[in-house]
Amino acid sequence: MKGARATDTIGRRGLLGGGLAAAALAGAGLRPRRARADSPVVLTLAVWGAQAEEEAFKSVIDKYQALHPNVTIRLEVNGNSMQLYQLVDTRLAGRQAPDVFRIQYQQVGRYASAHALVDLTPYLDQGYANQFGPAFWQAVTFQDKQFALPHHTDTFALYYNVDFLRNLGVEMPRSLDLSLKWDEFIRIARQLKAKGDAPYGFAMGWQNSSAYRWLPFLYQHGGQMLDAELRQPLLASPTGVETLAWTQSWFKEGLVPPSTSVKSSEQTQNLFANGTIGMLLGGDWQIPFLQQNMTKYKWDVTYMPRDVAMASDLGGNCLAISRDSKNQDVAADFLKFIVSEENMRAFVTAAQFLPVRTGLMNQELAYALRPEAMKIYVEQARTIPDHLVRTVTMPVFSKINAAMADELDLTFTSGQDPATTAQNLDTKIKAVLGG
Amino acid sequence: MRGSPVITSLPASSTRRTRAGWRAGRQRGLVPYLFIAPNITLFTAFSFLPLIYAVYISFHDWTLIGEPNFIGIRNYLRLVHDTLFWRALANTLLYAAGTVPTSMATGLLLALALNRRLPARAFLRSLYFLPLVVSAVATGTIAAWMFNDNYGVLNALLVRLGASRISWLSSPYWALPSLVLTTLWVRVGFCMVVYLAALQSIPQMYYEAARIDGASVLHQFHHITLPLLKPATFLLLVLSIIYSFHVFDLIYVMTGGGPGFSTTMLVQYIFRLAFVTSEMGYASAVGMALYALILGFTVLQWRASRQAENVM
Repeated sequence: MKGARATDTIGRRGLLGGGLAAAALAGAGLRPRRARADSPVVLTLAVWGAQAEEEAFKSVIDKYQALHPNVTIRLEVNGNSMQLYQLVDTRLAGRQAPDVFRIQYQQVGRYASAHALVDLTPYLDQGYANQFGPAFWQAVTFQDKQFALPHHTDTFALYYNVDFLRNLGVEMPRSLDLSLKWDEFIRIARQLKAKGDAPYGFAMGWQNSSAYRWLPFLYQHGGQMLDAELRQPLLASPTGVETLAWTQSWFKEGLVPPSTSVKSSEQTQNLFANGTIGMLLGGDWQIPFLQQNMTKYKWDVTYMPRDVAMASDLGGNCLAISRDSKNQDVAADFLKFIVSEENMRAFVTAAQFLPVRTGLMNQELAYALRPEAMKIYVEQARTIPDHLVRTVTMPVFSKINAAMADELDLTFTSGQDPATTAQNLDTKIKAVLGG
Repeated sequence: MRGSPVITSLPASSTRRTRAGWRAGRQRGLVPYLFIAPNITLFTAFSFLPLIYAVYISFHDWTLIGEPNFIGIRNYLRLVHDTLFWRALANTLLYAAGTVPTSMATGLLLALALNRRLPARAFLRSLYFLPLVVSAVATGTIAAWMFNDNYGVLNALLVRLGASRISWLSSPYWALPSLVLTTLWVRVGFCMVVYLAALQSIPQMYYEAARIDGASVLHQFHHITLPLLKPATFLLLVLSIIYSFHVFDLIYVMTGGGPGFSTTMLVQYIFRLAFVTSEMGYASAVGMALYALILGFTVLQWRASRQAENVM
């Protein structure tokens, strides 16, 4: 890596996470509970997602129902993750939550700590944990118990408009160690704007309060939000303030559309598809949309920009069983079925996600769309810092994310001083951690 | 019963008649209750009991998915020192100040215009009333597209006219005015209909007498129309203020309360506390504060209705 210091990434976590989980099971001498589904059973599966994801869920449900004719699985599809959580929370309060629901890794701790999820440990064989990437297994583990099963992951990379970049005479990096440095990235964004092909250089896909997606930039700059023990905030530091100032400069300089701050509901993929922006920091799940809608221009993908380190976002989802499920054994069996190697492969290749099973992570998968672009995402996923994973999977992280959304939005849209933002965030995070 | 004679015994036929009369009387007495029973049942189930439960929850710390913990009046103490609550209250008042007088004035002007004999009068009345019958989410979505910085029709028009683009929904200075404009679009139709009904109830002879006395159109408006529209104006004023305090769906769709906190109203804040940061107890306490405010205006509305009845 030229001039870049790699952060502790998923690769280093392999032995530790998987080993601990396997040892815990072996030590406890547990025999997994087996599901029984002799009589008619109806399960509800609540998810959100684009059309490709919905189709992939339907396909795996059909397969399970064919194998278990007495089981009927009703799929409930919601608009987005926030809407699903509102629905699940309300139904949990009314003791009527869906049997199985989709959940982001960042939210597992919140639900598990409130005893809203079924402990899956009794359903799992010894060594089951070893079949998954340790970072993802760690993300579904709360107080040494498993409360969800990892389903897939996704991460961020840099989409670019091939036509606009060709007009500039810029060649984008084709290997991870040559990924753009911050200053190179900003120079291209300025050139794009100056040339006039696109009104704005780029946009970052952190809208709808996905403020945690700001964190990779902090890690790229050599910082982190919390200390090693996750007890003290560290944003009011030179690295924290400098990262805030750098991301604020995108808005100040007009390199990004003003409507793309963290609390807006702007669809950045629309802006990229219609040529309003020349580059998009976005996720792999957006490939089906771009493939279908970006007809006027050609597009391609390169790696996330980097500073002193490389880093990208931990995305993706797992599946959990709610405490209200009347058929927990069958639900657990369905959960294991849906994350089996064969079904995970089918799901991620159809919906353009990254697998979380070790057996699939190093394979070249036959993606339905743009397999060469997916290779970039697979490589980029290896740069997700271990400390970032531990931070965003804390039980209180949803409150920290809400504070981040408020403060970052004030910084980007109202010109709040980065030092004030860092100080405010540290105060709010301290209050959350203290609570 | 004071003053009533006490009956100690009655002949058998009289007793039967009395029992039959009592049964008939009791049935007559029950009938009104039967009529209002569905309403009372629904109101109790979906308004009154949740309200009581919200009061109970406001004294608890509750994440919605866990168990509530009693914390006394701590949520209410927090309310006093919560700068975001006061900001949301100020925004709500500002929004009400921006929408109430403008929607009423525009509604009155439209009602005056459509109270005359115009071609396509019925069509125009329906057109102005249409946004009110469309779902607020649909209206908000359409408005969000119209105000979109990058591909909205308003900025496209501005560019055509040689002006520069405006960050309608992404600038803390323009977001609230954009919401006010959208609200006007929705609410003007309602004000127009109420004013139109009130205008048509004014007897024409007042105007004829005024014209015979040589009163100008402006004088007629000032001395006849305005005073006789007073009950309708007062009713609209109170209803519009209550509507402004309740506003949620339009803002949820258009700005989500941002940029920053520039369009965070009280109901947005309650929603955020309940479903984003999972503080249902504190959300209930803020809800109680909003309830107290709206209750105050409801009392005003009740008085306004009575005043209107007395005038008519």
